Amino acid sequence: MRISILWYTPSPEKIISLAMRRCYSTKPIEEILKELDQKGPEYWRHLLELAFRDKSFDVIEHFYLELLVEGLAKADVADLAINFPFMQFTEFKENLWLVLLNARTLIELWYDDNYKYIAESIVREMKNANVAPIFVSVAFAGD
Amino acid sequence: MQVISLIVLLVWHTDPNPIFQASKKYGVTLNKLDLMKHIVYMFEIEDISRVTTHQLIRHRLASYDQESQRFSAASRETFVVPPSVSSKKESKELFEKTVNQVMEVFEKLVALGIPKEDARYIIPHSIKTKLVMTLSAASLQHIASLRTTPQAQWEIRSLVSKMYELAKQATPEIWNV
Repeated sequence: MRISILWYTPSPEKIISLAMRRCYSTKPIEEILKELDQKGPEYWRHLLELAFRDKSFDVIEHFYLELLVEGLAKADVADLAINFPFMQFTEFKENLWLVLLNARTLIELWYDDNYKYIAESIVREMKNANVAPIFVSVAFAGD
Repeated sequence: MQVISLIVLLVWHTDPNPIFQASKKYGVTLNKLDLMKHIVYMFEIEDISRVTTHQLIRHRLASYDQESQRFSAASRETFVVPPSVSSKKESKELFEKTVNQVMEVFEKLVALGIPKEDARYIIPHSIKTKLVMTLSAASLQHIASLRTTPQAQWEIRSLVSKMYELAKQATPEIWNV
């Protein structure tokens, strides 16, 4: 399976942190973003670790990845489309798909024996392309 | 108390260009619906009532994170007053007086040591809230088709109309195909 990342949510760890702070803060977004910039990536990592500790995966739904996936059969796509509502597929040609998914779906694939190989390929490409390094190190620590 | 002060901001959206480049490379023509499934928007919504967010979150193909009443402070200044209520002096006064009384009770309960998560049971539905919402263009189009019609309730119609306008401005190539 060959994966290329066409696009992903800019500053994903900051966006996940924004979603988390939104639940606990009464401040308008400008102030939350300013606070997140001031505190920096180590703070975003801290918030991500809390989210993963508490399995609060709703906040990582705001991080999206758009992929080109080669080597995915139509039968696999049918299974995935049924089981993962936040995954979208458009066929480019045989075995070549435009795939959209959010980070929660990526985690769900990772912990699903049937689909772990897909998550592994995506994470490998995220590491190669240095996409969301803090997210990858928190989400897949110990793997 | 302000009548309407709804704020809707687009936090980020998918850049459609890499998708266009990839489809061109492989000689694929994407139809509008296929394209719309792959374009995502994240919105910040502020100063909307909980009446309306209850309606909003019934649209399931989206991701939401909303200000929690268990943890955040509630104040007397943060209520949405519907235009029909504020248009009459008597109804406006009655509404505002009652909300203030209720919030006094809320504050007293908290002062008595009642946890916020329990004291909030008395807070009126009209309290303002803030949330982030992430959804695809396809999902937004579906919601807009239901919530921007004249039959839709005024506050959610105003919200969804703003989201729709922001999405169209940000990515006209998706909506004007």
